[in-house]
Amino acid sequence: MASPAVLTPVKSRSSVFSTRTAGGRMPLTPSPRTPRTQTPDVPGAQESIHGGNLMSRFTRSISKTSVRDSPKSNIARATNSPRRLELGVSNWTLTGTSNTSSTTKTPSRAKKDGTLRSRPAKTRIAYNAADRFIPNRTASDAIVNAGTGKLDLDQRPKSSSATSEGSAVLANAASAFDLGGRGSEEDATLSLEGLSLEDDDEEGRPQSKHAPDTVAYQSSLASACGVNLNTRILAFKPAPPESSKPIDLRSQYNRPLKPANGISAQNRRRIPSAPERVLDAPGLVDDYYLNLLDWSSGNQVAIGLERSVYIWSAESGSVASLFECPQDTYISSVKWSGDGAYVGVGLGTGEVQIWDVEEGTKLRSMFGHETRVGVMGWNKHILSTGARSGLVFNHDVRVAQHKVAELVSHTGEVCGLEWRADGAQLATGANDNLVSIWDARSLAAPKFTKTNHRAAVKAVAWCPWQSNLLATGGGSNDRQIYFWNTTTGARINHIPTDSQVTSLRWSTHYKEIVSSGGFPDNSLSIWSYPSGVKNQEVPAHESRVLHSCLSPDGQMLATAAADESLKFWKLFEKKAGAPSVAGQGTQSSKASVVKQVTIR
Amino acid sequence: MSQPKSSSQSKPSSKKDSSKVHKLALKGSSKVVSEFFEYSINTILFQRGVYPAEDFTAVKKYGLTMMITADDQVKTYIKKIMSQLKEWMYGGKISKLVVVITSKETGEHVERWQFDIQIFSKGSKTRSSKKATDKENAAPDATEAPGEKTEEEIQAEIQSIFRQITASVTFLPMLDGNCTFNVLVYADADSEVPLEWGDSDAKEIKNGEKVQLRSFSTSNHRVDTLVSYRLAD
Repeated sequence: MASPAVLTPVKSRSSVFSTRTAGGRMPLTPSPRTPRTQTPDVPGAQESIHGGNLMSRFTRSISKTSVRDSPKSNIARATNSPRRLELGVSNWTLTGTSNTSSTTKTPSRAKKDGTLRSRPAKTRIAYNAADRFIPNRTASDAIVNAGTGKLDLDQRPKSSSATSEGSAVLANAASAFDLGGRGSEEDATLSLEGLSLEDDDEEGRPQSKHAPDTVAYQSSLASACGVNLNTRILAFKPAPPESSKPIDLRSQYNRPLKPANGISAQNRRRIPSAPERVLDAPGLVDDYYLNLLDWSSGNQVAIGLERSVYIWSAESGSVASLFECPQDTYISSVKWSGDGAYVGVGLGTGEVQIWDVEEGTKLRSMFGHETRVGVMGWNKHILSTGARSGLVFNHDVRVAQHKVAELVSHTGEVCGLEWRADGAQLATGANDNLVSIWDARSLAAPKFTKTNHRAAVKAVAWCPWQSNLLATGGGSNDRQIYFWNTTTGARINHIPTDSQVTSLRWSTHYKEIVSSGGFPDNSLSIWSYPSGVKNQEVPAHESRVLHSCLSPDGQMLATAAADESLKFWKLFEKKAGAPSVAGQGTQSSKASVVKQVTIR
Repeated sequence: MSQPKSSSQSKPSSKKDSSKVHKLALKGSSKVVSEFFEYSINTILFQRGVYPAEDFTAVKKYGLTMMITADDQVKTYIKKIMSQLKEWMYGGKISKLVVVITSKETGEHVERWQFDIQIFSKGSKTRSSKKATDKENAAPDATEAPGEKTEEEIQAEIQSIFRQITASVTFLPMLDGNCTFNVLVYADADSEVPLEWGDSDAKEIKNGEKVQLRSFSTSNHRVDTLVSYRLAD
């Protein structure tokens, strides 16, 4: 359609009409869009014909009025000024011209011209699209095809190649919209036929052997002309997806079927995004600084809900309330001892209790902290407790004088605390944004104090396969996960996350670490280590995930969130026969006690 | 399995019945052929390096280890093609499936895998009678429905085609790895064409070398394989 539109104004320019357009163009000259080259010839035309008052008034109005006014005058005369439009958008010129009431002759001629020219252009496009189409020479088929309206255009070439009876039928049908350009059409068809005949040499023969309905007919026809009919070539139009990278085939031919390592589509791990199980956790305190969830080596989950501690047995699925604390306080932390027999419970008052879960009896209470105990960690018979005051105490739970060490470093509430599996080092994180790494043999001062986090550090996790690797995650103002070499104190890696890091757990089966987060997604993110690539993100809860813990076999992660639910996720499903990355040189007591756990 | 039952059910109109049975068998046969195409496309994409090898995963099929794409986008793309192809197959509407490999740089078609589909028509009396007259002149008629084949036999035929496709990398020219592909079908003019499919040229290879590979046939279809490629300059 574009070509006739361009042609028309060229003709009309020679008519009287052009002067009008020239006049109309004047106010627009300031417009930067108008090509400068036009200007020379236009004033001449305009002066020669109009030259009168009207034009002089116009020119005056331009020179005197502000620039803002001139476009207005242009609008008023818009119908008369297709000339200018033609320069920019040729398509519009035709409409502009034909709409003008003053000169009916020119536009109509132009229009006719346009149709004459556009018609063949249009049909030619159709030919191109189906240029391998082989004209149908049979009456019966022509009728069949005429029934499918979609094909009408493709059938049209046949009408002009008057070689068969079928074409007559079609010619009648086609004549309905056949307005002109018949001659050119014929040319196209002729060239088309030449093309298709060439094709027939290579493609005709095999094709002539099918089409079940008309075998008899076809066989005779095919033998008669040796031409295949009825076929169109169709391409699946959407572009195929881009290859993710260029391929060197030479290397491909020689490569083993299974790549040595790396995350390929082939062995990418599928991580279920739905929880295995969901439990209600009514009354779970929405407090980032507490640690209210722990999973024992005996496959029991302890959770502190307001003033009660509940024990949920993963094997039987049974729930039991361990105890309820006095009215005036609440549970601020729970932690299983390494053997899974005892649970340490920290209270809001600063009291620490030790319970024998089997018997359901309290073994002892330990006092010392003045403020709530938000975090605890066992190292054999030593229980470390971190309190709001920033103090960390080590208690030897076997002796009466239980407090054996006072670790002074933090000034904010201690909320993260984790012993290394071999008990040689202790890492603590607190609301003063510090991470302290302690040597178990000299607890007077931290071995290293790390100040990189910009928010409270609750998430602290020791790597199960590299004993001097520590991961720590910062709160909402920080959102970073840092990795430390606790022998040298160096920061060796860093993963920026999108949310508050509320907990970190290393997988024991994969070189991965999972972080739990708060706003905006309340999700679990599984990161590859050391690449730091996020393997998967699992939207986990409706509000922020507060606590997480791994099952003793390392396959399942339990998460507790402010939406008062406890969910179990099979994040690290162990493949049969795959060796665990942990347990090489580390004494992960939990993992060694129970090889496989089940949840009911 | 349903054949004896239906024939015994209505003996008078046995002619009508046999066509019904034929249709059922056609559907099963179409499925075999469609499946073959799906694996062929995957194999070609893998063998000719249209997508990186890491994006493919190995599955056991036809007694072979076949590579099929694990890339979600490519998977969806092929799935879309296959769903339409199956419909056409069931309708007996297509005569060829073509996978064209095109160089992204020059836009030239460098390789063209063509699968010719022939549908056997049962009761082709006229054909056989015609054949009788000039038997000597006619080329060995491939379209004659062969005796019933067992699944194992069909599978063995398909297997040997895939072996050939895989082996063809030894004589096919090296592709530069920067290629894309297109799927064409030669469909009957009266087929229903969904929006995603449009008329195309044959995308033939200019001065291409052609190599006919093996064929396989089911009770209703025969599929010939032909690869044409551009000769190395």
